[in-house]
Formats: sequence, structure tokens, C-alpha cells
Amino acid sequence: MTLSHTEIEELLGAYALDAVDADEADAVEQHLRECPRCRDEVAAHRQTAALLAHTGADAPAGVWDRIAGNLEETPPAAERAIPWATPRRRRRVPVIPLMASAMAAAAVVVALLGFTVARQNRRLDRLSLTQSATAALVNPAAHKARLVSADGAMAVDAVVLPDGRGYIVRDSLPALSADRTYQLWSLDGGKAVSLGVLGRNPDVVTFRAGRVPTEMAITAEKGPHGVKSPQHSPIVTGAVSA
Amino acid sequence: MDSLLTEASDTALVLAVARYRQEALAETYRRHAGSVFALAKRVIGDPVLAEEVVQEVFLRLWNDPDKFDPSRGSLRSYLLAQTHGRAVDLLRSEGSRRRREETEARQAAESGYDIEHEVWDLDLAEHVKKAVAVLPEDERRAIQLAYFGGHTYREVATLLDQPEGTVKSRIRAGLKRMRASLGAVGVTESMGT
Repeated sequence: MTLSHTEIEELLGAYALDAVDADEADAVEQHLRECPRCRDEVAAHRQTAALLAHTGADAPAGVWDRIAGNLEETPPAAERAIPWATPRRRRRVPVIPLMASAMAAAAVVVALLGFTVARQNRRLDRLSLTQSATAALVNPAAHKARLVSADGAMAVDAVVLPDGRGYIVRDSLPALSADRTYQLWSLDGGKAVSLGVLGRNPDVVTFRAGRVPTEMAITAEKGPHGVKSPQHSPIVTGAVSA
Repeated sequence: MDSLLTEASDTALVLAVARYRQEALAETYRRHAGSVFALAKRVIGDPVLAEEVVQEVFLRLWNDPDKFDPSRGSLRSYLLAQTHGRAVDLLRSEGSRRRREETEARQAAESGYDIEHEVWDLDLAEHVKKAVAVLPEDERRAIQLAYFGGHTYREVATLLDQPEGTVKSRIRAGLKRMRASLGAVGVTESMGT
């Protein structure tokens, strides 16, 4: 079914309420893929409809148990599930000696190896950033790391796509004072290379690595621009899945 | 983690769901399952099928969390759109349509149904009620039959004995009018979270 832009527009209200026939729905969906203005309109209609929807009563008892039961019986694809669903205890990497040698070499490494020093991409607003991070987290091809502190109290999830784009997602990491910043490092071969300054209170931050690191760490450094080589021991660290 | 989760934003919850945190899905369920169930039950008219919709909607979020785009609206709005779509699919199968019509006939006999009774939060309810009240009767009826009745606009046209094109336009115009009046008093969809 081919419809003009005007004909599609006229259908958007009914489409948002699931009140069109299947062939019209197909035509609208095809149009929406190419038309941000119409996508916005459908989103707006759905938000209005959501305000009309009734709530108040709790969901019926027992439904959650059925959902939770299904989560256990049908675990999602293994490559997605393993790093995140059942985080295994990792062999503790010898962080401090590693970092000591790293600190000596890092300034040179930054200059010579030409890793892209990542930075927070300020053009992306936080929401689309969050969606990109979510998509990366569920991408089976992505490399993942859970960076944790020695006592296990602080944790950050990192995900790196094969092309080197990466995301840091805070799980539990306290805000720093205004004059300090978190900084992300790759720790390949005993060398610390900055992957980006994360800010004093990071939630979701994107970075770019020249290649997928094997180990990653976050330190707290002097802000706001960070340092060329780590001046402090890592707060959280972890191995990146192959 | 649990105490953090109860304070987490919907976006943070979905990220945690993407990381297979069951407790994040549980918190999402705690926040939104009541609305999801109520809408499904209203559209289908069958509590057992409505429970199945609740189950499907939350399992779908678990399996495909990246389908939720926070830049396009709240998690509640997303879950309710999913719910509505699934409920309408079920309704359009012959059996549940018949059950729903029986329920509807019974409800109509018991009490006059009106869209104003479908709003929820007490503060928000007043604003939504006013926004519904400013709708011309034709627009209000068309939206009600399409959204809560699960009818296509063509079916609505038949039910109201009006031209299809007119009904289609009225649904769109009514939704726009409601949004404008809610926006004018500062109600945004995020208040529905």
C-alpha cells in the first residue's frame, strides 16, 4: 500500500491507538522509518494515550512469580547472559604493581601509540546515549567488563563494541568533589592508556578505544581535565571479555 | 542495590534490565504492572488474558530492553503502548472479542461507562479530566472506542455511523487537542511515571 505523506499523517492518530488495519499499519511503519516528524507525532499521541490509561490497582498476585519463573527456565542467549546475569568471581589482577609500571610508561605511550583519547561526546544528549549504551550491552558481539573495587562495594559496567566504541555505565560509584574527576584507562601489557575523562559523577559515558582493551581501570584524578598518566591506584578494575 | 533501585530512574532501570538484573525487572514491575494490567483488562475484558499480556509485556522488556527509546517518552508510556498493541491483537481474535462484548454489555447494564472514569492519579486525574472535557463529543467518542474499545477507525466509523475519513481525522485532532490542553497547564507525560 502506497500512501502520500498527507494520507499517512491523517492516519497517525489512529495508528498510535492501534486502530488501523494491518496493511495501513505496514504503510505507516515504512513511512516512520524515514520521517522523524511523523515519528515524533506518533510518540506524542502515545504519550497522551498513556495518560488516559487507568492505574491504581496493583497487578494481580502470582503474575510476577510466573514472570520470574520464566526468566529462570528460559535464560537468554548465552553470550549475552554470562557476563551480566551470573557475574563470576574474577581472578584478582595484580593491580598495584601493574599500575606502578604503567604510571612510568603512560605519558610516552599516550604520545607514541596514538590511541584515540576518548572524551565524552557532548553532542549526544544523555537519552540517546543511554539507548546506545543499552543496545551495546545487549549486542552479542560486544566485549564486556565489570569493573569492581577490591571490597566489591563499587562497580561499573563497561562495554566495548568491535569498532572500539565503548560505554561506561555506573552501577555504584560515588560522586567526587568538584575539583576531581574519574578517568578511564586501558591496561594492556602493563601500560595504562587514557580512554577518557569521565567527570566527577558519571552515569553513562561514551568513549572510543583504538582497539578492544584486555583490562580496564578507573582512577580518581585531579579535575576537570584529568592527567596524562594515572597518579592514583585504580578504584575499580576488571578484565574485558574476549 | 535494592535501595538504589527503588530510587533509580526508569532509564537506569532499563539499563539494569539490559544487564540481566532480575531485581531491576522486579522494580519495573512494581512501578508499572498495575497500569499495564488495568489497561489490558479494560481492552480485553478478560482478567486471565490480561494477566497473560502483563507477563508478555515484561518478558519482552527483559528480552529486548533496547527497544525502549527513552528519547521517545517514558517507560510507562512505552509499556502501555506495548500492552495496548498486544491486547488489541488478542481482542481481534474472535473468541476474546466475544468475551469482551459480553463483559461490556454487562458493564453497560451496571453503570454508565465514561472516559473520565479511566484516569488515575488524583492530581493528574483532574487535569486529564479537564482535557477530556474540552474535547468535542465526536472526538471523545472516537478516541474512547478506538483506545479502550480496541476498535479500528473503520469499525468506529461503522459504530458511530460516520464517514471513515472523518473518524480518522477526529481521533488525530482529539489527541492533539488533549495534548495541547495538558501542555497548557504544565502536565507532561513524565508526570505519569
